[in-house]
Amino acid sequence: MAKLILMFKDQVMQEFPFFRESMTIGRNPENNIQIDNLAVSGHHAKIDKVGSKFILTDLQSTNSTFVNDKKIVSHSLKDRDKIQIGKHVLLFLSSETDRAEQSGSDETMILDTAQQRELLAKQETAAGQGIKKIGVLSFLGNSEIGEVKLIKKLSRIGKADNCEVKLSGLFMGDTAAAISKRPSGYTITFTGGMTKLKVNGQVIKDSVQLNEYDTIELGSYKLQFYQKEAESI
Amino acid sequence: MKSIIARAAGLTDVGLKRELNEDSFSTDTKTGLFVVADGMGGHLAGEVASRVAVDLINKSYKKWFDSDAPEEDLFEYPDPSLSKIGNYIQSSIRLANKVIHEMAAEHTDYNGMGTTVAVLAVMPDLIITANVGDSRIYMVRNGEIERLSKDHSIVAEQVEMGIMTDEEAKQSPLRHVLTRNLGSAIHLEAEVFEIEPSSNDRFVLCSDGLTDLVSDDEIQQMVVAEDDPEVLCQNFIDKALTRGAHDNATVVSVYLSDIEKSKSDPFKKMGSILADILTTTQKATKAFKS
Repeated sequence: MAKLILMFKDQVMQEFPFFRESMTIGRNPENNIQIDNLAVSGHHAKIDKVGSKFILTDLQSTNSTFVNDKKIVSHSLKDRDKIQIGKHVLLFLSSETDRAEQSGSDETMILDTAQQRELLAKQETAAGQGIKKIGVLSFLGNSEIGEVKLIKKLSRIGKADNCEVKLSGLFMGDTAAAISKRPSGYTITFTGGMTKLKVNGQVIKDSVQLNEYDTIELGSYKLQFYQKEAESI
Repeated sequence: MKSIIARAAGLTDVGLKRELNEDSFSTDTKTGLFVVADGMGGHLAGEVASRVAVDLINKSYKKWFDSDAPEEDLFEYPDPSLSKIGNYIQSSIRLANKVIHEMAAEHTDYNGMGTTVAVLAVMPDLIITANVGDSRIYMVRNGEIERLSKDHSIVAEQVEMGIMTDEEAKQSPLRHVLTRNLGSAIHLEAEVFEIEPSSNDRFVLCSDGLTDLVSDDEIQQMVVAEDDPEVLCQNFIDKALTRGAHDNATVVSVYLSDIEKSKSDPFKKMGSILADILTTTQKATKAFKS
């Protein structure tokens, strides 16, 4: 069984065998490893056993977590790694069987969902990115439409009935343009018709990525793209 | 409607270090559905998981597509941000997940088994991609490469949040730890994207056995340089093998045809414009009369 040895100024304080799936470290008493020192955050870090690996994660602590003098966010622990938490050191000792398993392990593994949700929720609030944003098209000038939220992954713009954003006009294409939400952000693509697509005054013949407050022109229509927080999430 | 797929191919290789090939794939130019799955779990479990995923996704998709199934009839609630076909894909992945999850719970041999998937659906007016885990989907359009999948791994999520750089992610010991796969949880959401197809688009679906060894830039160069998808797949596998192929590697590539030309008929267009002018004039006359 792997274990952690809590040390303070080279003095062994306590030994913690790693007998569960997850061990928490912090100043608060509910932690599996409690370190009662002001340099330690209430919930400072945790270690999860994932497959044969032990993964240390800093829980956005005030004074950070260091492994072998290097600041870490998350780290796969190796035998005899020195985890520095405040002024204390936790020495990680893996068991014989763990060591054998760890060498030669390049396997894909899945992180337990409950652990992961917890981890990500903490990371998200810390990074301030838990808020989901949604693209909006705002009609500029004389228009009755006002604003259109781009709730679909693919929103078509044109005069055909299946278009999410319906525009009229003699030379407007059935689908004149399409906006898709991709991993890299929102992209607008010219899809056809005799009405030109312009983004910030430039004629677009294929695709361009949309940035906040870009203006889109299609015939006499002028729209502005921006992103706002999705209300329901 | 006429298919816009010019040619497609798929290839898998066990690699140089593994004894078993746990990857599975399918190519179906008739339905326009392409799937790559990378299984995990000891003994034969990984192989079983990836095979079940590929088969079930194909089966459910085909069934719903052929019968034009209403969204209410799908497995679990439809996602309002997706088209109907997009929901067929999402739902077929959820269903495959449920089956794999139950198999893993019921049979001790299958405990802990799981799989990633990367799915591409090609229709005349719509391209849909969906993925779970770290198998990827790339699009090369006008010579430029774009990822149409999102990795579900700890490092990818940390990169997205801005707490890790791309370089750190590549070196990280956690790069193979997934946050989502088919099999480990009862409920699952795939990452789905929908885009308009464009002439001569080229798509590559692959397992991490390839992307661990070949960079996005190299993939882009190799796709642009090769006009035959079958040769492209072989080139990718060869590249992985020359670089040590520590894992199974699988590639599916799909090349679209020249769509624009068949789409716009100038005479038809003129006809519809004339019709528009007529209706507009009629409306105007009516308004004038009243």
